[in-house]
Amino acid sequence: MAKRKASRNMTIRRRIQGKLVILIVLVLLAFAGLGLKLLFINMTKGEQYKKTVLSQQSYDSITIPYKRGDILDSNGNKLATSDKVYNLIIDAKQLLSKEDYLEPTMTALKTCFPEFPEGEVRAFIASNPNSQYYVTLKQLEYERMAAFVDMQNNTEEYPNIKGVWFEEEYRRVYPNGSLACDVIGFTGKDNVGNYGLEQYYNSVLNGTNGREYGYLNDDETLERTTIPATDGYNIVSTIDGNIQQIVERYIKDFNDEYTNAARSGNGARNVGCIIMDVNNGNVLAMAGYPVFDLNNPRDTSALIGSPMVNEKGNIDYEAEVISAENIDTLLSDDAKTYQNLNYLWKNFCISATYEPGSVAKPFTVAAGLESGKMSGNEYYTCNGQLHVGDHDIKCHNYKSGGDGTLSVQESIEKSCNVALMLMGKQIGKSTFLEYQEKFNFGLKTNIDLYGESRTSSLVFNTQSMGDTELATSTFGQGYNVTMIQTIAAFASLINGGYYYEPHVVKQVTAPDGSIVENISPRVLKQTVSASTSELIRQYCKGVVDNGTGKTARPAGYSIGGKTGTAETVPRDKINYVVSFMGFAPADNPQIAIYVVVDRPNAVFQDDAKFATKIVRNILTEVLPYMNIYMTEELSDKEREELDSLESTITSANTEEEESEVTNEDGLKVNEDGTIDAQGGDVTSSTEVTPEEMESDDVLTAPLTGTVLDTSTGEAVREVDVNDPE
Amino acid sequence: MTRNNTHKPYVDYTLIYILLLLLGFGLIMVYSTSSYTASITQATGNDPYYFLRKQANATIIGLILMVVVSFIPHRVYTRFANLAMYVSIVLIFLILTPLGYEANGAKRWIRIGGISLQPAEVAKVAVILYMTVTIVKNKDMFKDLMSIFKKTILPIISCLLVFLLTKNLSSAIIIAAICIIMLYVVDKNSKRYIIGAAILGCVAVVAVIIALSIPDSPDVGFRMSRIKAWRNPEAYSDTIGYQTLQSLYAIGSGGFFGKGLGQSSQKLGFIPEAQNDMIFSIICEELGLFGGVCVIAMFIVLLYRMWIIANSAPDMYGMLLVTGVMAHIAVQVVLNIAVVTNVIPNTGISLPFISYGGSSVMFLLAEMGMVFGVARSIDFGDI
Repeated sequence: MAKRKASRNMTIRRRIQGKLVILIVLVLLAFAGLGLKLLFINMTKGEQYKKTVLSQQSYDSITIPYKRGDILDSNGNKLATSDKVYNLIIDAKQLLSKEDYLEPTMTALKTCFPEFPEGEVRAFIASNPNSQYYVTLKQLEYERMAAFVDMQNNTEEYPNIKGVWFEEEYRRVYPNGSLACDVIGFTGKDNVGNYGLEQYYNSVLNGTNGREYGYLNDDETLERTTIPATDGYNIVSTIDGNIQQIVERYIKDFNDEYTNAARSGNGARNVGCIIMDVNNGNVLAMAGYPVFDLNNPRDTSALIGSPMVNEKGNIDYEAEVISAENIDTLLSDDAKTYQNLNYLWKNFCISATYEPGSVAKPFTVAAGLESGKMSGNEYYTCNGQLHVGDHDIKCHNYKSGGDGTLSVQESIEKSCNVALMLMGKQIGKSTFLEYQEKFNFGLKTNIDLYGESRTSSLVFNTQSMGDTELATSTFGQGYNVTMIQTIAAFASLINGGYYYEPHVVKQVTAPDGSIVENISPRVLKQTVSASTSELIRQYCKGVVDNGTGKTARPAGYSIGGKTGTAETVPRDKINYVVSFMGFAPADNPQIAIYVVVDRPNAVFQDDAKFATKIVRNILTEVLPYMNIYMTEELSDKEREELDSLESTITSANTEEEESEVTNEDGLKVNEDGTIDAQGGDVTSSTEVTPEEMESDDVLTAPLTGTVLDTSTGEAVREVDVNDPE
Repeated sequence: MTRNNTHKPYVDYTLIYILLLLLGFGLIMVYSTSSYTASITQATGNDPYYFLRKQANATIIGLILMVVVSFIPHRVYTRFANLAMYVSIVLIFLILTPLGYEANGAKRWIRIGGISLQPAEVAKVAVILYMTVTIVKNKDMFKDLMSIFKKTILPIISCLLVFLLTKNLSSAIIIAAICIIMLYVVDKNSKRYIIGAAILGCVAVVAVIIALSIPDSPDVGFRMSRIKAWRNPEAYSDTIGYQTLQSLYAIGSGGFFGKGLGQSSQKLGFIPEAQNDMIFSIICEELGLFGGVCVIAMFIVLLYRMWIIANSAPDMYGMLLVTGVMAHIAVQVVLNIAVVTNVIPNTGISLPFISYGGSSVMFLLAEMGMVFGVARSIDFGDI
């Protein structure tokens, strides 16, 4: 029995052993198969999967935005700056990780941000429960963000606010709205500058984004590294906010006065003004009209009053004028709107080309004197017209029978075309063209602003200039210039002959305030000798004292200059570009000013007074502001005018006290968004009371004959206004 | 064959070394795979050692358990085989009580007095014990299928409960496989197993064909869509195919010698809980094909030593116990690697001794204790 059992056990034992062999073989086969599968995956997909794995890596990094540099005026006031703002991000995954989170979080968000789009967010969360990055609200100010974060951090009262975080960003802000809009340009969200300084100095203003990221180090532990953002450099402009403001105010006054006067629309198609320091090429003010709000450059209401542009984006003087009534129908499609806006954003002072007209006459005379073709002692006889080539070219006083016999100075003073044409004959074509080039006509000035026009094809050369062309060129018709070209050349005529490259930026500073680069004035060439320059100054002073420019002279000052009334193409004798280009003071020039009024809104446009009046108004305020003393006797009428100007400024300040609007820097802001330089001292960041204003008012000093130091208000010295120095 | 009480107990040092090697390697890999995610997860206290520490604790407890069990003669605990079976079934039911708790979206654990364990792991041990005793005591049960069925009714119930109550298909498959293999090795009649396997294969093929032919819709069952994702993981890369695809990326990107220990990219959140079922893919990524084959080789040595012990066991009890444990480990390793390499549809099976999981490693070590216990009773002089 035991034996049988033992043998039976042995049988079972053998069977189990045998079957275990089978099982082991099966397992080995399975392993072999799996090993082959591993090999197969590596052989066929190895490279592809390697790339896939690398492409999946995100390393959980956060971009730290840089701050775009500020644009400052010459006094250090911010013309453009970047404010830190916050985007609200919803992390749906975290928000939905517990049921208790959703409702309290939504309630908190609604409380802090009334504009929170709850429905949208709920719909998004429902359809994308795994999303961790959903931008809900953009560009929140710090205070609003902080209010919510306080709530979020108060875990005792609000324990279930989850899945919300804020991402930092910068927003470009222009504290003065439309002030110097053409010079500054504007910047989109992506830190790309458009037009003006913003575009020209884009790479200087921009910095480099920083990054915060996690990685595994050699010890398998997670490291977080932060590479801080490098903020962009600030640029300090030569533009003086106060002068700029004065200029823009009087251009606007002009526009207000002439709007809808003879035709519908603005007071002129365009108005431009440049004030330049003649001794270094610094642009102190550069303005055009119409203007636009830099904080909202796409606001089409700024286009009201301008005619529609043509298909090429150029102004079309015959086109329909945009008005509040027809703006929606005229600007129905985006492409058209942007064409019109693009024209608006252009800087008239550097991009518009036009025939200069009689302001070119000092250049012709200077070319004659400097080349030795003229001695300055010549006399010319004007009979009202001159036969050149196949044409009879008339003088402006053709009807009264001409100007008679004129000296060189009188030719300029009376702006006699015949005398100038005779001078042209004397100078000759090649010398005339040589001096055109010396004065930089036809060449870019290389001013540091985006969008300067090329005029090389718009001036004459030896081939294209015949006798008629030479004749008309002597009084500024037939070739085109830009405003900046003209004033830069004019500055050289009167400063002793030094041609400075015009520029708008004088310094680049690092975010910590240290100076990165000083941009010093660059003399490019000598256009004329000091003696020629002196003669030109004398002639130009004559224009204002005795000639066509009388109305440009501000009370109490002696200035020089030249008027211009240029016919436009077609020569319809209706449309004119009128201008005045001058310098002050006459005996020791500090600044040059150039005002161009393109097709003034008047029945008879051919009157330089449209420009001279603007110049007079501007200089009346700018010269005292620049501590340039009065040298001329004031007539009773002038004294009266200045008194009334002073009282309007003072009363404007008092009124302003009642409904005072201050911008972020504490500067007083007018209703139109411009900073009132007289109402508030732009250099100061604190509010100024009327009492302080009176003692420190730049206008007060010359009127009372006491020169005040503008910074302290103390009397510096007495000036006898009746006895010019 | 009488037992000589003075014989020198056989200790299989090779098996001990290979086991310790597997456990040590497992701990290294658990740390490697879990440290990054643990350090960025608040639930683990941002502690990179969180999973390593828990696994090390379970391993130490398991080793103590193993040593203790190895000194208990298997005759002693086979007496409690029936009891173990009933207890394991009761434990499965406890999941329905408040003692049961959920983790990773599945209710598979119970917690008694601060210790959490997976009843399915208990069931595997209980089934090995129960089947051993049942087969030895009922040598005539192989007459026909009906009597086999009658005698194995309790393991079948256990298997179904694991599948139905804990929704744990893979553990149910392992329990069934253990039973079938233990029956197979003793049964004179091999035909019925071959036929069974053939039928199962056909059913599987038909099921796959059906699954692939029905169009995608939310009504498609979860297992059906698993099968679809198995054939074409790229098409489901955002949903159920994600884990498989990421695992394949890991294996494929490792190359022959891998990126180096600790250098895996896929563990940085791409393979969720890489320390669990998908740990083999990270091994392949970090140590390459070479590392993967080495792991397979370690398991082959482990199984080979257990096979030696099974062959030399002094009695039927010993043979069958070791066979059961071998079956358990072999099936689990093969299925795990098959899932990771997408040879079979994705189902959650951990890699023995290496994957993170306290219950699993403790009960596996207890089973190894039984194997060492059987080995101790071998008297090579006797055979």
